[in-house]
Amino acid sequence: MDVATESAMTEIQPARLSQPATFMKRIVLSYRWLALIIILVIWQAVTILVDIGLLPSPGQVILAGWGLLTSGLFFKELAASLVRILLGFGTAMVVGLIVGVSMGSRRFWDEFFEIPVIVGLSLPGLIYAMMAVMILGLGLTTPVIAILLAAYPFVAVNIREGVKATDKELVDMARVYLVDRWRMITKVILPGLLPFIMAAIRVGFTIAWKVAVLTEVFGASTGIGYQLRYNFQLFSMRTMIAWALLFGAVMLVIEYGLLAPAEKYFARWRPKVKEII
Amino acid sequence: MAATKTMSTPTVRPHPFLNSVRRFIFNPRWLSVIILLIAWQVLAISRNTRVIPRLERIYTELIKILFTGLFVEDLAASMGRIGLGFAIALAVGTAVGILMGSRRAWEEFFMDLVLFGLALPGLIYALVSVMLFGLSILAPVVAIVATAYPFIAINIREGVRAINKDLLDMGRAYRVSRSNVVRRIVLPSLLPFFLAAIRIGFSIAWKVTTLVEVFGTTNGIGWEIRASFDTFSVHGMLAWTLLFSAVMLAIEYGILLPAERYFGRWRPKAGQVI
Amino acid sequence: MTTIAVSVRDLVKSFGDEGGEHRVLDGITFDVEEGTLTTIVGPSGCGKSTLLNVLAGLESYTAGSVEVRSGEGTAADLGYVFQNPRLLPWLTIKDNIMFVRPQNVAETTHRQRMQHYLDMVGLNGIGHKYPYQLSGGMQQRAGLARGLSVEPAVLLMDEPFSHLDEITAEQMRAELLRIWQETGRTIIFITHDMQEAIQLGDRLLMLGYEGKIVEDIPINLPRPREFTDQSFVDFYADVVSRFHKLQAARAEELAEVEVN
Repeated sequence: MDVATESAMTEIQPARLSQPATFMKRIVLSYRWLALIIILVIWQAVTILVDIGLLPSPGQVILAGWGLLTSGLFFKELAASLVRILLGFGTAMVVGLIVGVSMGSRRFWDEFFEIPVIVGLSLPGLIYAMMAVMILGLGLTTPVIAILLAAYPFVAVNIREGVKATDKELVDMARVYLVDRWRMITKVILPGLLPFIMAAIRVGFTIAWKVAVLTEVFGASTGIGYQLRYNFQLFSMRTMIAWALLFGAVMLVIEYGLLAPAEKYFARWRPKVKEII
Repeated sequence: MAATKTMSTPTVRPHPFLNSVRRFIFNPRWLSVIILLIAWQVLAISRNTRVIPRLERIYTELIKILFTGLFVEDLAASMGRIGLGFAIALAVGTAVGILMGSRRAWEEFFMDLVLFGLALPGLIYALVSVMLFGLSILAPVVAIVATAYPFIAINIREGVRAINKDLLDMGRAYRVSRSNVVRRIVLPSLLPFFLAAIRIGFSIAWKVTTLVEVFGTTNGIGWEIRASFDTFSVHGMLAWTLLFSAVMLAIEYGILLPAERYFGRWRPKAGQVI
Repeated sequence: MTTIAVSVRDLVKSFGDEGGEHRVLDGITFDVEEGTLTTIVGPSGCGKSTLLNVLAGLESYTAGSVEVRSGEGTAADLGYVFQNPRLLPWLTIKDNIMFVRPQNVAETTHRQRMQHYLDMVGLNGIGHKYPYQLSGGMQQRAGLARGLSVEPAVLLMDEPFSHLDEITAEQMRAELLRIWQETGRTIIFITHDMQEAIQLGDRLLMLGYEGKIVEDIPINLPRPREFTDQSFVDFYADVVSRFHKLQAARAEELAEVEVN
């Protein structure tokens, strides 16, 4: 082997994790913990040194969170929220798929849905939440409709791009070989769409839970959002932050532990996958 | 399109002007809006409830807000908060993004913070900021910075990563001065990403400001929206939302997006994140 | 007695209307005998690919007729090898070939054929790989195996080697000839490369600028044909000169149009 290559290699960090030991070493010695430690230290210091009204110390928040977990209240409220999130998300996906496919296939639908989609993309979720609560009240329809309206444009836009990106050459190839319609859809069109569907799922889910929480803040008596509002009104900071952090953690796990890997998996036949978080 | 002309009953002979008018009305783009408006109005009339106001009610509210100067007042208050928060978020996000893009160590350091920040909704930051800072200007500013800086950071990071090493080497080979390298190679390369970051950051900034104003201010667009909510004034909320969104969208699509496109026109494919 | 595999009569394809008609194909008429290798050449934009697409059923035509006769030993009407391999990137090579199984062929039968033709093109053992894992030449071989495995009445090939480097292309040409002689398939091969056309074909059809067939030249040179053989060189020179006459006539026409 070239001597020059050997010496040049010392600067480059190994790209692949070759052994469990190396893997553990990289996790433990990584700078990421440094950031976390610094934040905790600053936070604690601030609570001691400065009096910003109601800022609780990290310890108080952890204690409050622990209480929520052990009493089971967190899981109860989480379940209530998840029901709304999943229902709304499901509806948004269905509608978004239909709209997206039509927009991607026919010019007429592309133009027809253009304005509703752009407006839908831009309006803040807050508005959908508040409007839904005002008009639809406190039932299950409120979060579902709010999520539907807020999320479907994002799903539609991703699906539309996927449909437009269908490789016409492959479709022609299948046409020459007289492939039947079912095979055409399942083997030619859908696999090409999958990465876009996964992207739509990720975006859709993100919006779904954010809007769900917003509807709960303004109009619900159960769920994470309700708890946030309840504690906010009681000025009970440590509990409110505990709720926020716990819920955020769960959503993070779903997004980065479930959806992101799934997205990578469905794109594995691509030789080069450009990662955008 | 020429000034309005009363349309006579359509003749069989194709008339160029009528054709274009017909095409304008039946343009699919407007079709959806027209259908929506008609459906709303039908619903409003049939249900006859306060929470589904008729279109005229919304319209009169719009006019009232605009022409009594109320809109401008609240808009100014909100814009002040948006501007300040956005500026600081941009500074912080750019700094973090540059650091993350340059050295692996910084990327690891900030990565979790950024990922976490990307995931947490603005609502959380809004609530916490209001509780911590009450009515002071710090509330919206901190909330905006916390929510927006991750998005800005990853865009800038992508920009830094995308700086063409070949071009930098070329600059070195030709012994180009450091300031020229920065001015002519680094900055133009970063510019499209920076503008994308601005657009996304601005978009987030106004949404978070609205949230903060809903929960803890005494003026501003968000406060008006909250007031409408408390009084079940759907027409009020719609009027305020429509006006405010119009202004914000005008800025985003009328100024920021064209600027981003213009300064990125040498690129084969715009690579902004989200 | 020779069997006709493909019969094209007065084929016309035109675009446009209201007085601005443009005929891409204008009265194309030819028969292709079973088991022959016919090459079609012509300048860019003369309609070669359009002709092939019409034969493949990908494009409609304005007038005339196209008939493909499926004789014995054919399971499908058409196989097509494209310029780009057009393999489904998310399927393995084997799955790609199974994908085009004709409706009336049993799965096991098609699978056997697939294996047979994969061996024939020299891709034995890599059937489980994904397209991106293979080189350009290997991908094209896979495309060829796919076209062969449906045992078509006619195999259409649209400049299949034009995107490969010259060395690989040479190998592929030799392999194609070998496979053709082994299987006896009817092949219609489009190329812009005159040399390739002469090396491969039994017969050369030259398409002109007007969408008509301007030359129909049988190639009786004995195989294997080396470019260094005198007979090859002479033949090539003759064909090229005819092509140049064509281009000269065209240039004159265009000059006249400009003057007017």
